[in-house]
Formats: sequence, structure tokens, C-alpha cells
Amino acid sequence: MSHPPQPPRTSHLTQGAGLAKDLAERPAALQPTRDPGATLPDLLEVLLNKGVHLNLDLIISVADIPLIGVNLRATIAGIETMLEYGMMRQWDEQTRAWVQKSLTKHLPMADGEEIVSAMAASYLHDDFYQAWRPGRAYLTNRRLILHRRDPAETLWQSTLADISGVEPVQETSVGGETRTRLKLKMRDGSEEMISAADPQALLKLLRTELNSEGQSLGGGANGSAGPAQQQVGPLFSGSLWVLETLAQGSTWRGGRGTLEEAGDFTWKSPMDSRPLLRCGPSEIVTVERETLNNPTDHDEVLRVETSRATYRLASPELSKWQQHLTEWAHATKEAPHGAAG
Amino acid sequence: MSNTAAQEAETLYVYGIVPAGSPEPAVAGIDGAELQTVTAPSGLAAVVHIHRSGPYEGPDEDVKRWVLAHSDVIDDCWTRAGAVLPVSFNVIVRPSERTGSPAIDQLTEWLDSSAGELSQRLDELAGTSELRVEITLDQHAQAAEHAAVRELRAEMESRPAGVRRLLEKRLDKLERQITDQAADELFPVSRARIAAHCLQIQGYAPSSRTKGAISVLSVACLVDELQITALGAELAEIRDEVPAADIRFLGPWPPYSFVDLTAPGPEQDGDQQQGQQPTA
Repeated sequence: MSHPPQPPRTSHLTQGAGLAKDLAERPAALQPTRDPGATLPDLLEVLLNKGVHLNLDLIISVADIPLIGVNLRATIAGIETMLEYGMMRQWDEQTRAWVQKSLTKHLPMADGEEIVSAMAASYLHDDFYQAWRPGRAYLTNRRLILHRRDPAETLWQSTLADISGVEPVQETSVGGETRTRLKLKMRDGSEEMISAADPQALLKLLRTELNSEGQSLGGGANGSAGPAQQQVGPLFSGSLWVLETLAQGSTWRGGRGTLEEAGDFTWKSPMDSRPLLRCGPSEIVTVERETLNNPTDHDEVLRVETSRATYRLASPELSKWQQHLTEWAHATKEAPHGAAG
Repeated sequence: MSNTAAQEAETLYVYGIVPAGSPEPAVAGIDGAELQTVTAPSGLAAVVHIHRSGPYEGPDEDVKRWVLAHSDVIDDCWTRAGAVLPVSFNVIVRPSERTGSPAIDQLTEWLDSSAGELSQRLDELAGTSELRVEITLDQHAQAAEHAAVRELRAEMESRPAGVRRLLEKRLDKLERQITDQAADELFPVSRARIAAHCLQIQGYAPSSRTKGAISVLSVACLVDELQITALGAELAEIRDEVPAADIRFLGPWPPYSFVDLTAPGPEQDGDQQQGQQPTA
């Protein structure tokens, strides 16, 4: 075969399509499909995860066992993503119990030990030979575990108390991509290397857990360079509500806003895979306060007008957001940079 | 159903909640189980079957069959009764361990004690459907006209097969990068356009991934039945504007994703917040 693979569909409209468009102002409406062949995975997802879960210990026994293989159910539920976000603690107790139970079926937990996050990860085995061993990283409030489910094997684990610090390390992979690995510094002076699906998220969560374990990250605080110089953090970030307009009225969505010093202002919901809002500093037209019902204690929200759209943002830290957004937009107007697209 | 000693150990498998007096379901339940309606004084009814074993558990293939049967019942209720609160798979009412009161009494009590909330949600969902929209971009189609891609393709033509295989990997990566950027731009716009036709909208993780397809958006939409065509027309426009877009449009279904009776609190990240009207 000497041809490059044929694209599965043409990238150009056929001439006929132009004609059809001329005949009718609007294209014919897309018809939804109910064909079970096409919709089965979706049906499974909703029926296993949605619907009335009667909330009553007294009367109803909701089966809390995973009925469909954990893998299938976890994937369809988007639970994987939520776990990567470390959102365990924000779920209701029932969901938490279910996930905990599913995960711990093959990974025994101590009393009071709770999963904080789980994601695909690899452990750099460096003993007689060096090799990345794939599995999943489970961060609990007590341990960090690299575990492979099938065949079951704990590739590596440590109590948080034995980890003195964690640092991101940039490495170039075989394919030429830059990857962030996490280097763990152990109390006994040794080091371990892991990779993870979302290294930044795991880094952050791990640091949080290490801190709450009562660890001062500078176990070597009196000298060694802190992790600060390695990290290029955002200028400002925090939880932020964004108002979304619906057919009737509108609704506030919870999520996270991030303001990058030499980049964009973005807002992303944990339910979405991409930011719903993204704009460069030069796109900001105005940032003003406005009185509007919102989920915070403030009476006011921010009305952010960009060259493309107008957004309404609510936050418990409204003044800070206003200040940072205004300064950020202003600063880059004075000294424009070419990064934003 | 009478309340005899023999029935005390019986549990009730629940499919959905409908307004009392709704037409009886015309289909059978899971594995052909005979369906019954338990009506509570509050004007609500639950569609159930008498269940004598534990929760359904087994190989994925069995679970798929059960889940589909469960969904058929809800669908039937929805078509006939016009409104239904779908109940999750494997919700089983058992007799009270404390008082020994049979499952049917437990269920009736629950229907009555939750009547306010349940009736309100049934009213709100009457005349609505759930539709799902998944938009993906075909990476070949999206990136085909990109200068860097054309250059690389041209280069590939003149190279021996071995080098070409390496370049194909680079081409794939390049196409994915270009398409991912396009998806980032398309997401906010398409979500806003879809949301404008929805009573509620909720993102979810896409169920399957096709090679070469980059996901832009996956949303469950609660739509007034009369607005389904308008949503379909909007999608057709998006499809025509973005030739590389592939749109899956599923439904109409009973409002499975929108029966949540308790919305998360404001501190919690996530959707499904109680709608707030932007009143000054």
C-alpha cells in the first residue's frame, strides 16, 4: 500500500450541499436516534448512575455493590476523571462509599483510610533492571500506592509519613514529547520516580496530603531549594461561578477560574473536558460589578465583557478577582505579548 | 397485594414513579417479571415487580440485558403516563428490619413522605425529554488544509516506506494538536448554542472513543418536547458550519439524568445547581 490512509470522510462539502442550502434557508433539522444498537453504552451509563436513588437507609436498600465490572462502570460514570481531580471529598457520602468499596475490593484499606485520588500511573522500577511498570496510582489519606489490578500486584507503596517531599521533573520521552514525572524524596534518603496521567493534579493533591499529614515539606527546610522555583503557577486561581443561559432563565455553574500571567483567563467546570471560557488579556473590554442573584454571600457579581461574549462571574473572592482581572488585562495592554491566540 | 406472612420476606424491585392512575405498563419487567403498580394515598404510584432474591449481579452481558429491560419499562411508563421519575437500576425495597413492616408498606410510606418533592419534580419534568449530544472532530478532516499538515504529507510522498511510517506518527500528533485547538474553540460556542434550547444541560464523560475523533462536547439536554426540532436544527447548522464535525444526537429518552432530587450545595464544584433567575 503506497497511499496514505484515506480520511474516513471528505473535508469538503460536495457541490450538492451548496445547492441544497440554497433551496432551504436552514438545513433540515438533525433527527435524534433511539436505536439501541447505537445508544446502549449511553443507556447503561444513565441507568446505573442516574435516576432516583432513594435516599433512605430505613426503607430502601440500594445495592451498593458494583454490578457491572468496575472498569466499565467507572468509565461510563466519568468517575475516572473525577478521581483524577481528587474530587472524592466533594461527593456525597453514598457515592463516596460506593467508589471506596469498588476500589478497595482489590486494594485493601486500613480503618479510616480513604481514597483521595486515583489515576493511571507508572512506577519506575529501578532494581536489577530499569523499566516503567504501568498501573494506577492511588492516593489515600495515609498512603501512596502504585497498584496493578490485573494481574493484581502492588508495584510500590509508601505511607505518606515516609515521604519527605515531591518534585516535578521534566523528561523527554522517546517520542520527543516533554513529560512531567514526579520524583518522590523518601525519609530514608532514597528517591522514587513515578509518572501519572495528570502529574500536576497528583502533585498538588500529594502535597496537600503531605501537609495535612503534619509534614513540613521542607524536611530539609533549612537549606535545600524549595519546590517554588520549579513551579510556574498561575497568577490567580480559585473557585468561580459562571452564569449559563438556558432556554428559560439561566443557571450558575460551579468550577475553577485560572488567570495565567503570560497566558489566558480560563474557566472550567469539573464536569466538562474543556474550558468553557477562554480569553486573552487583549480581548477583555470591561470588568464591572453588577447586582445579581448568585450562589455566594455577595449581592454583586462581575460582568466581564470580552470582544466575543459577555460573562457573569460570581465568587466569594469577588474583589480579588476583579482586581486581578483588571490588572492583568491592563498590564498586557501596556506591554503586549504575542502569546495569546 | 395483600399483606400475608408469606409475603413479608418479599422485596420490591422499583422501576419508576408515576402519577397515580397512570395507565398500567404494557411490557414485562426484568427477565419477564410481572409488573405491578403500588399506589400511595398521596397520589403517587411506583411501578415494581415482586422480587425474591438479592440485587442483580452477574457478568456484564447479563447486566446489559437487565438494564435494557429496566429501561424498557421506564420508557413504556414515560410514553403512556407522560411523566415518570426513572429509578436507578437495582433499587430494591425490603421489609423493615426494625418493625417487620412489609416492603409494600415501606414503599407506600416513602412515597407519601416524599410526595411533595416527588410530585413537584414529576410536574416539572412533564412534557420534557432527555436528549444527548456528542460532538467530535475528525482529525484528518479538520487538519487536512493546515499548511504544516500539507507540507508533511508532501514530504511523505517522496520518502521511502520506513521513513514514512515514522512521519505518519508525527502527522498523527500534528493533526491531533491542530484538532484539539479547534475543539477548544468550538466547545464554548457550541455549548452556548445548545444550552439556549435546553431547560437544563449537563456535561458527561463520553462513552466511547473512536480513533481519529477528538471529543468537543458531550451533554445531556433536558428539552421541552416542542423544542426538539429546534435543537436538531441548531445541530444541523453547527454540522454545516464545521465540516469536520461529527454529531451524535440521541433520544428522545425519559429524563434519566434530570431527576436528581437534591442539588449539591454551593461550595461543591459541579453542575446541577438549582437554577437561579438573573433578577436584579
